[in-house]
Amino acid sequence: MQASNDKLSATFSALADPTRRAILGRLASGEASVSELAKPMKMTMPAVTKHLKVLQKAGLIRQERRAQWRPCYLVATPLKEASDWVFQYKQFWEDSFNRLDDYLKVLQAQNVSETVNPKGKRKKER
Amino acid sequence: MSNAAVSATETREISNEKIFDAPRELVWNAWTDPEHIKQWWGPIGFTTTTKHFDFQPGGQWLHTMHGPDGTDYPNEITYRLIEKPSRIEYEHGDCPLFYTTVIFEDLGGRTKLSMTMLFNSTEDRDETAKRYGAIEGLEQTLGRLTEYLAIQGK
Repeated sequence: MQASNDKLSATFSALADPTRRAILGRLASGEASVSELAKPMKMTMPAVTKHLKVLQKAGLIRQERRAQWRPCYLVATPLKEASDWVFQYKQFWEDSFNRLDDYLKVLQAQNVSETVNPKGKRKKER
Repeated sequence: MSNAAVSATETREISNEKIFDAPRELVWNAWTDPEHIKQWWGPIGFTTTTKHFDFQPGGQWLHTMHGPDGTDYPNEITYRLIEKPSRIEYEHGDCPLFYTTVIFEDLGGRTKLSMTMLFNSTEDRDETAKRYGAIEGLEQTLGRLTEYLAIQGK
């Protein structure tokens, strides 16, 4: 339920910005250079670089060092972990809500039988 | 099950709701009494043991969830706001990622339960504005990712 929270925190923090999500969205369709990323966002290269550093620190992207144009590419593992976490959350509450639904029915059935039962105090008092 | 579907709404939160065929007071009791909570809390196959339960703002619910495979998951919930019988807000003390709000709405004999989970990282947990701005688009990103992973897997 709470494995590697620090990594998850870093992932969610990195995702908590529309520009960074746009960068990830772009990289999901293939590697790109910093200038290629900057152009459609109408941002300066230093501004994009700042976001790339956050993504890199969170382990969500890597920058190729070999090629001269140093393309960025997506690293999917931390995102997969975040996705699994959200799924776990869904599962937790879908299950819990179903169990609560059943339990409330049991409680209400008990209440009804208490009221209907002629020995029940509630009925006598009325 | 569609009414319990988790979705990222445009109001920038992950939310989850369901209507229960029970009066609000009973639903409230089911959330606020550890004897009741242990009957339904957690995924199927899990059981919950409460070590400490102090239901008041700032009070904590310390509990351990026992998984079907025998794994124990200790949990620490701190209640932040309680407005009987309509609202509870809490956060996970050891997992300050999300701040949860539970709303109990009286539908005349039935009860609508709405849960909202807001991003709440350690750094910005006290800044409400940031808290509300964080999850926007998370599910879209994750949706894209799923597609991406499917492609990568080929």
